[in-house]
Amino acid sequence: MSPFRRLPFGDRWASTTASVVGMALLFVAVGMAMATLVAAVDGRDVVALGTATAVTGLIGLVLFHVAKPDSQDQAAVFSAVGTTWLVASLLGALPYLLAGTFAVAGRPWAIVLADSLFESISGFSCTGSTVFGGHNPIESQGPGILMYRQLTQWAGGMGIVVLVVMVLPSLRSSGLGLIDAEAPGMGVDRLAPRISTTAIWFWGIYAGFTMLVAVGLFGAGMGPFDAVAHALSTASTGGFSTKDASIGHWDSLSIEAVLIVAMLLGGANFTLHSRMLRRRRIGHHHDPEFRGYLAMIAMGTLLVTLLLVDDGMGLGRSLRSAIFNVVTLGTSSGFGNATGEGSAGDFTSWSSGPQMVLLLFLVFGGCTGSTAGGVKVMRLRVGLSHAYRTLRSFRRPRAILLVRQGRNTVPEHLVERIAGFMVVYGLLVVVGTMVVAALGTDLITAAGGVIGSLGNMGPALGDAGPTASFADAYSTPARMALAVLMLIGRLEIFPMLLMLVAPYRAVDGATRGMRIRLRRGRHR
Amino acid sequence: MNRPVRSELRPRSGGGAPWPSWAAATAWSIAAALGATFLLAVTAGLVDLLGDGDDTTALLVVGGAAGLMAAVIAVWVRPPDRIRDADVLCAFAASLVLFIGTVTGLFLLVDPATSLVDALFRAGTSATTTALEANPVDPADHAVRFLVGGAQWLGGIGALLLAVAVLPFFGAGREFADRSRRGGRRPMAPDPATAVRHLFVVHGLASAFTLIGFLLVGVAPLDAVLLAMATASTGGLVSSPDLESAGAQWVAVIGMAIAGTSLVVLWRLGVGRARSLLRSAELQAYLCLLIVGSILFLLWTDGSGVDGIRRAAFTVTAAVTTTGFPSTPGGNWAPAAPVLLLGLVSIGPMTGSVGGGFQILRHRILARVATRELLRQLHPRAVIPARMGGRIAAEDTLARVVVTQFLFVSVLFLTAAVVASAGLELATALGAAVHAISTAGPVRTLDGTLVDVGSWPGGVRLALLPAMVVGRLSVYPAIVALGAGMTLIRDRVRFRRRLTTSLGRTTGGRRPSPGTAR
Repeated sequence: MSPFRRLPFGDRWASTTASVVGMALLFVAVGMAMATLVAAVDGRDVVALGTATAVTGLIGLVLFHVAKPDSQDQAAVFSAVGTTWLVASLLGALPYLLAGTFAVAGRPWAIVLADSLFESISGFSCTGSTVFGGHNPIESQGPGILMYRQLTQWAGGMGIVVLVVMVLPSLRSSGLGLIDAEAPGMGVDRLAPRISTTAIWFWGIYAGFTMLVAVGLFGAGMGPFDAVAHALSTASTGGFSTKDASIGHWDSLSIEAVLIVAMLLGGANFTLHSRMLRRRRIGHHHDPEFRGYLAMIAMGTLLVTLLLVDDGMGLGRSLRSAIFNVVTLGTSSGFGNATGEGSAGDFTSWSSGPQMVLLLFLVFGGCTGSTAGGVKVMRLRVGLSHAYRTLRSFRRPRAILLVRQGRNTVPEHLVERIAGFMVVYGLLVVVGTMVVAALGTDLITAAGGVIGSLGNMGPALGDAGPTASFADAYSTPARMALAVLMLIGRLEIFPMLLMLVAPYRAVDGATRGMRIRLRRGRHR
Repeated sequence: MNRPVRSELRPRSGGGAPWPSWAAATAWSIAAALGATFLLAVTAGLVDLLGDGDDTTALLVVGGAAGLMAAVIAVWVRPPDRIRDADVLCAFAASLVLFIGTVTGLFLLVDPATSLVDALFRAGTSATTTALEANPVDPADHAVRFLVGGAQWLGGIGALLLAVAVLPFFGAGREFADRSRRGGRRPMAPDPATAVRHLFVVHGLASAFTLIGFLLVGVAPLDAVLLAMATASTGGLVSSPDLESAGAQWVAVIGMAIAGTSLVVLWRLGVGRARSLLRSAELQAYLCLLIVGSILFLLWTDGSGVDGIRRAAFTVTAAVTTTGFPSTPGGNWAPAAPVLLLGLVSIGPMTGSVGGGFQILRHRILARVATRELLRQLHPRAVIPARMGGRIAAEDTLARVVVTQFLFVSVLFLTAAVVASAGLELATALGAAVHAISTAGPVRTLDGTLVDVGSWPGGVRLALLPAMVVGRLSVYPAIVALGAGMTLIRDRVRFRRRLTTSLGRTTGGRRPSPGTAR
């Protein structure tokens, strides 16, 4: 039966946003249902998760049946994507609220609500910052809630809207725009003529990759539950863990080795993985962005290792700590291998030099078309080429100088777009740092938190290191500001900033007649 | 781009072919640095007579020699027919570096006990108007005190020359230069030579008014001169107990505010065209920054009463204008207060002023680029010009400002990384890097306490020096000069060609055919 049937009370509501949100909520409800099944193993939080599933599913179902896709313009696309992420994150907080996850004795309800929202947004945006820890350890939670946390990251990693496009062929040409607005990077490489087939490819590779990581982690010595949970947050480069000490809990070289490889692959462009599968040939090394990405990680690791050795840490321990932390921050995963506060893996206890290098990696991020956050290697490369070109143009004012990426010339409109993106990114970092600092945080913790949130990294510097809880490091308003930045960063800034344009236009159009009548009446 | 050289600079008689653009620019840069050294050394030598006068002879001799060399070079140069923009910028950067070198020599001359690193750092902080040292000089040593003050004042003039007479004509932002004679008005900078003349008049008057202000509130004459120099140049590197008095601080606040104002604004005030000034968005932003910054600072430092207001105005104006007069914390500072000061320092004052930082006009251009990018997301094919103050900014200007921001942040992070690697705390390293590239001081800890950079290891202080020079040169010309210098060295050394020749191949990697003449 066609989904575009007539409703008993008239035509369906023509709204792309409502339609996409409805479908996305159905997917979120499926995730919650899966967590409910896991919760049923020991019976904890079953009612909370079940209720959240029902509420989310019901709202999704109603929206999906009441609305139909409509406008295809850019403002409508941004509105659809931005609203989807916002609503999914809001309703995603329901399980935490209903299960009383953050309802520690004596805490006001507003803070409980804020913490639930923060954890949900951090999950869906694949940031991996957490308010667990201290008086409310992660280990005290039941398997249902723990699995739900990991699933939020997994859903956020490849993108909820990509899922929607996969099953909603009725979106037609706006499907590409939706994926484009949600995907990290500068555009979507079509893997197939149909955009829904492309979406299926992306999710297929993502799911297969997750399974491989789970098997690898299980083989390296993790229990089955933890292996699956960590695979979900590794493939999505999210960084949530089922332990307070994150990967440091196991203190295992083999687990860290599996994770390093997995994080590196998660931070690479998924189009490269797809091409590899289709052509049965590894072609990653031909991609200039991937080469730059690996070179940066290698240089960062070398630099941090040397600085740590210079500080008196043994070579083996330095190399292990350096490579894990550079990769985890360079891919925006945000796992920690610290075995405790002040241990070798706790980078906030390192000297300033290596911390400064890590701060740079908080900005860089992974490749375009990956699940990673941050500015992205390609943008940095193009930005550097653009800067070099502009400087050269001074010496050779009449020369036609092009920006190149490997053998390809980058179109001018793309160069301008990247330059504009970096300007907006820089302004957000500066303004965000000022706001978070004004809310009672010191400079390093504020700047680290803002850069980490905007780049969806997870742990930050200062008081918000890998062993710290964000609940202790930031005040509640500051955490909310960081949560907003996480969403802005996950959608690569513009969709969140422009999501209100379409509703504004709609309201403006609807009230125009009324305003004209009012004005005429006043003149009379 | 090549530009014709003014006829006054051309040789009046025969006597040799014109020099290449780069050679003439290099020679002029050396002459300018030596000329400034002459002025500084001779005046410092005369000022030293007010004290013990033991350095007078040495300073007069060295200054005279520098002046003679400058004159010889200026006469010797055969100006080129056309000069390249890039060569002008390179010459400007080279003259600043040379000036720092000669001032270092003067410091070593008058105080042989000073180490080379100390002298170089002091010369760098003075000439780039970066007041990173808390208590730099012995108050009894007149020659050294004047060298510090004079180097700051000359450095300030250099910054103004760059902002008013060099960048608008040979760099980015030509469309924003004050050239229009519409409506019978007298423009500030119709051409580079007039711009330089007007600059000296306006800056000289501003310095004189500040000096009179300090004298009126009872500051001793020599201290008043040094304070006026440090204020008008936004240098801030001065050791005078008089600056603790309320009257002197209020005069300094006004002096700093004037120094942070665009020279074009001051020019228009002077020629009686002030009516339209209040509509200037940049001036509004500058005043807003000073007022809102002071209010926020007052709130976050539990200051109260007239003393609190004065202290807030003094500290915030010193930060916005990148003067960096030291002021001790007056109470418990909230964590946001040092962050606010750091933010204000990096924003900086108006473009076309003596101050450093990224400056307000560039921030406005960045904001416009950001807005345009947001609009482009909605209308990808729209042509959206960026208007600033009624004028459309050229795409070149926008690109260069964006690249300047990129370079500003890159130099900042690089400096912070080097300084942090030397063992400083992360917050202090970042703070020092921001202050160095913004040419402002002093560095503060997270609770607002002043840090004495003078006590840091020599390596750390030297690592800050390139950032100061880059910041004083508004980032862009410094990088252009660096690139040009590297190209020059590469062309002279021709390492690759030598290597290929030694391997028996030509540059293109092809072997010459047997009949080809070499």
